Amino acid sequence: MSTMVSNVNALPARTWVRLGVNDTEFPAWEGRPAPYRGNVSAAELPAGVSVLEGPLPGAEPQTGMGRETADWVHANRNCGVRLRSAAGTHAEAPVLLRYRVDEDNPAVVDDNTVVAEENSEITVVMNYSGESGFHGGLTRLYAQKGAVIHLVQVQLLGDGCTHFDDVGAFAEDGAQIDVVQAELGAAAAFAGCRTRLAGYKSRLTMDSIYFGDRKRSLDFNYAADHTGKKTRSDIRMAGALLDESQKTFRGTINFLRGAKQAVGHESESNLLFSPKVRSRTAPLILCEEEDVDGQHAASTGKVGEDLLFYLMTRGLSETDAKKLLIEARFRPVTDKIPDAGIRDAVMDYVKGRLSGLESMG
Amino acid sequence: MGKNKAKVRDIDRTIYDIKDKVNASYKVQEGLTPKIVNEISVAKNDPEWMRAFRLKSLEIYNRLPLPSWGPSLDGLNMDDIVTYIRPNTPMRGKWSEVPDDIKNTFERLGIPEAERKSLAGVGAQYDSEVVYHNVREEVRRQGVVYTDMESAVRDPVYGPMVRSHFMKLVPPTDHKFVALHGAVWSGGSFVYVPPHVKVSIPLQSYFRLNAPGAGQFEHTLIILGEGADLHFIEGCSAPKYNVANLHAGCVELYVAKNAHLRYSTIENWSKNMYNLNTKRALVEEGGTMEWVSGSFGSHVSELYPMSILKGENARMEFTGITFAGKGQSLDTGAKVVHAAPHTYSSINTKSISKDGGSCTYRSSVEIPPQAHGCKSSVSCESLMLDDISRSDTIPVMDIRSDDVDVGHEAKIGRISDDAIFYLMSRGLSEQDARSMIVTGFAEPVAKELPVEYAVEMNNLIKLEMEGAIG
Repeated sequence: MSTMVSNVNALPARTWVRLGVNDTEFPAWEGRPAPYRGNVSAAELPAGVSVLEGPLPGAEPQTGMGRETADWVHANRNCGVRLRSAAGTHAEAPVLLRYRVDEDNPAVVDDNTVVAEENSEITVVMNYSGESGFHGGLTRLYAQKGAVIHLVQVQLLGDGCTHFDDVGAFAEDGAQIDVVQAELGAAAAFAGCRTRLAGYKSRLTMDSIYFGDRKRSLDFNYAADHTGKKTRSDIRMAGALLDESQKTFRGTINFLRGAKQAVGHESESNLLFSPKVRSRTAPLILCEEEDVDGQHAASTGKVGEDLLFYLMTRGLSETDAKKLLIEARFRPVTDKIPDAGIRDAVMDYVKGRLSGLESMG
Repeated sequence: MGKNKAKVRDIDRTIYDIKDKVNASYKVQEGLTPKIVNEISVAKNDPEWMRAFRLKSLEIYNRLPLPSWGPSLDGLNMDDIVTYIRPNTPMRGKWSEVPDDIKNTFERLGIPEAERKSLAGVGAQYDSEVVYHNVREEVRRQGVVYTDMESAVRDPVYGPMVRSHFMKLVPPTDHKFVALHGAVWSGGSFVYVPPHVKVSIPLQSYFRLNAPGAGQFEHTLIILGEGADLHFIEGCSAPKYNVANLHAGCVELYVAKNAHLRYSTIENWSKNMYNLNTKRALVEEGGTMEWVSGSFGSHVSELYPMSILKGENARMEFTGITFAGKGQSLDTGAKVVHAAPHTYSSINTKSISKDGGSCTYRSSVEIPPQAHGCKSSVSCESLMLDDISRSDTIPVMDIRSDDVDVGHEAKIGRISDDAIFYLMSRGLSEQDARSMIVTGFAEPVAKELPVEYAVEMNNLIKLEMEGAIG
C-alpha cells in the first residue's frame, strides 16, 4: 500500500465534491529513491547556457500540482538540473535531458530549475521513458525581463509506470514562457503547470496533448495567474481517449486585480473512441479585473460523421481515417518539439499505440 | 471618450423594502432543536409520517457539514433564525378577506392585478404560511389542482401522491440546507396537471418574507401527467433588515412523458438574505423542462436548478441572468444529468457584476455510460462593469460515453469600446450606447419571460446609464 500525496492538482476555486474534480492524490514511491545512475544530459550545454549557481532569483513559484507535491519532490529528489541562460544570449541548440526509468533507476525524481536572464532565450527538452517504475518531476521557470523560455516535456512511459510532471513559472516584463507537455504514456499520469504573468506584456503559451488507451488515467491542472498589465495566456489542450482510459482536465485563467487589458484564452478538444472512457473537464475563468478578455471553449465527442464520411470517400478505411484525425490533432504540438529524434519517437509511439486498435469506436 | 465610469443604478427597491409591522399569531424561538421542530409539526397539524420525516431531517442536518465551496456563510447563524412565523390570518380564497396590511403589500407588488390580467391561479405566501390561494374555475374544471402544500399533505385524494413524491427527488441527505428544509418546511404550493391537460396561461406563487431574522422554507411540488403542459412562475422578495434572513426553499418538479414545464423565477430578495435554495426536475421520455431564472437580490445566493433527464429524448433548456451589486455574492448556475440516451440540454447564462458585487457561474453536465446520442451545449457570458467587482466561471463536465456532442463556451469581459464607438458613429450618445448594449446583453432572458414579467425584470435591473463613460 503506497503512501498517498494528497491535495494534488487542486482546482483554484472548489466546486461540488461529488464531481471529484476539486483535487486528487498520487501514490508516492515508498522509501527514499536511490541516487540516479547515469547522465541525463549527453551533450555539452549550448553556448550561453551554464549551470545555475547560487540562490534562485525569486521566491519559489507556485506549481500546478501544488505545495504537497513540491515538498515531496524536495524531500525525495535524486536528479535534476539547474540551468541559466546568460543575459542577452540566445542558445542556438536546445538542452536535451533524458530521464530514464529502468532497473538501475526504478524511481526517478528530478528537480529542475531554468533561469533565463534578461533578453536571453533558452529551450529545454525533457524526455521521460522506460517501461516500469516511478517518475516524478518538478521544474521551475524564471523568465526575467524580455527573456524567452521554451520548455518541452515528452512523456512516453510504459504501462508499468506512475508519473507526474509539475511546473511552476514566473514571467517578468516582456518575458515569454512556452510550455509543451505531451502526456502519452504511463498507467497513471499527473501533470500541472502554474504560471504567474507578473510582468507587463508577459506571455504564456501552454500546449498540451494527451493520449489515453487501455486503463490509463490522466490528471491535469493548468493555471495562468495574470497580475501584470497587457499579459496574455493561451492554454490549448487536445487529446484522445480510447479503451477504458480516463482524463481529468482543470484549466484556469485567473485575472487578478491590476491585470488591465489582459487576455486569456483556453481551448480544449477531446476525441472519444470508446463507450468506456471518462472525460472530465473543469475550465475556470476567475476575474477581479474589468478590462480583460477571457474566453474558454471546449468540445468533447466522437469524430464527426461528416468528416469521417469525407475521408472515407477519399479511400481511407474508417480506422485509418480516425488515426489520421488523431495524428492531425497532435501534429501542431509535436511540430513544436525541436529535436527530430524525439519528435519522430512521439509520432511512432502514437502510431504504434493506434496500430493495435483495428476496431475503434 | 472620457475615462469616467458609467453609472449603472442599483435596483430600485422602494416597493420591495416597505416593511409591515410584524403581527404574527404564532412563532417559534430562534434556533433549531428537536423541540422547535416538534412544535412546528404540532402547529401545522402534520400527519405522523411528516412529523417523523422532520425529525429525521433534523438529524441529517446536524450530521452534514457546511459546503466546502462557494460564498462565505459566516454571517448566517442558525441560532438567530426564527424558522416558523405564522401570519395573523388563515389562508383565504379572496383578496378582500386578506388583512389590509398583508393585502396592501401584495397590491404594491402587483400580484392581484397580475392575477386578474394574466394568470390562471395565484398562491401568496407571507412569512411561513400561504395567506391566499386561488385558481380560476375553468382551470379547476380541467382537473388541475393548485393548492398550498399543507392542504395537499392532508388531502384524502392527493395526500398519498404528495407522500410518495415529497423530498424523494431532493432527499434531505442531498446537502445541509435541504436537510434543514426537510425539518422546518412550511408553505409553498402543490400543483397537479392531469395527463394531456394544457394550462394555457401561467400559475404564479409569490413568496414574501416580512419578519426580520426569520427563515422561509416553502416547498413547491409540481406533478405533470403525460402530455401535460404548464408554465409556473415564482416570485419572491423581502424588505431589508440589518440581521440575516434565510431562504431555504425546495422545488421538486415531475415532468411525465411528453409533458412540458416551464418554470420561471424572478428572485429579488433583500440584501440581508441568505438564499440557499434547491430546485430539481425529473424529466421522462420526450418531456421538456425549461428554466428561466433571474437572480437579482439577496446577500448570498446558492442556486443551481438541476434537471435529471431520465427518459429518452427528454430535453432541458436553462436561461438565466444574475445581477450582483454592492455587498452581494450570487453563486448561480445549473446542473443536468443525461440519464438516458438521446437527451438534450442547453444552458445559456448571463451575469453582470458591479459596484463590488460578485457573480459566480457554477454548473455541471454529467453524461453517464449508458447515455449515448446525447447533446449538450453550455454558454455563459459575464460582464464586468468596474474593477472592484468579481466574476467567476466554474463549470464541470463529466462525460462517460463516447457517442456524445458536448460543447462549452465562456466569455468574460467589459463593454467593448469598439461597440460604443460604432453606436456613437450612428448618432447615439455614449450613455444611450452603453444602455443599449447592457439591455441587449440581458435580452435573451427577457424575451423568455411573459411580457409583464419582462417589464418587471427590466424595472428590476434598471440599467439606466448616466454620465460619460470610458
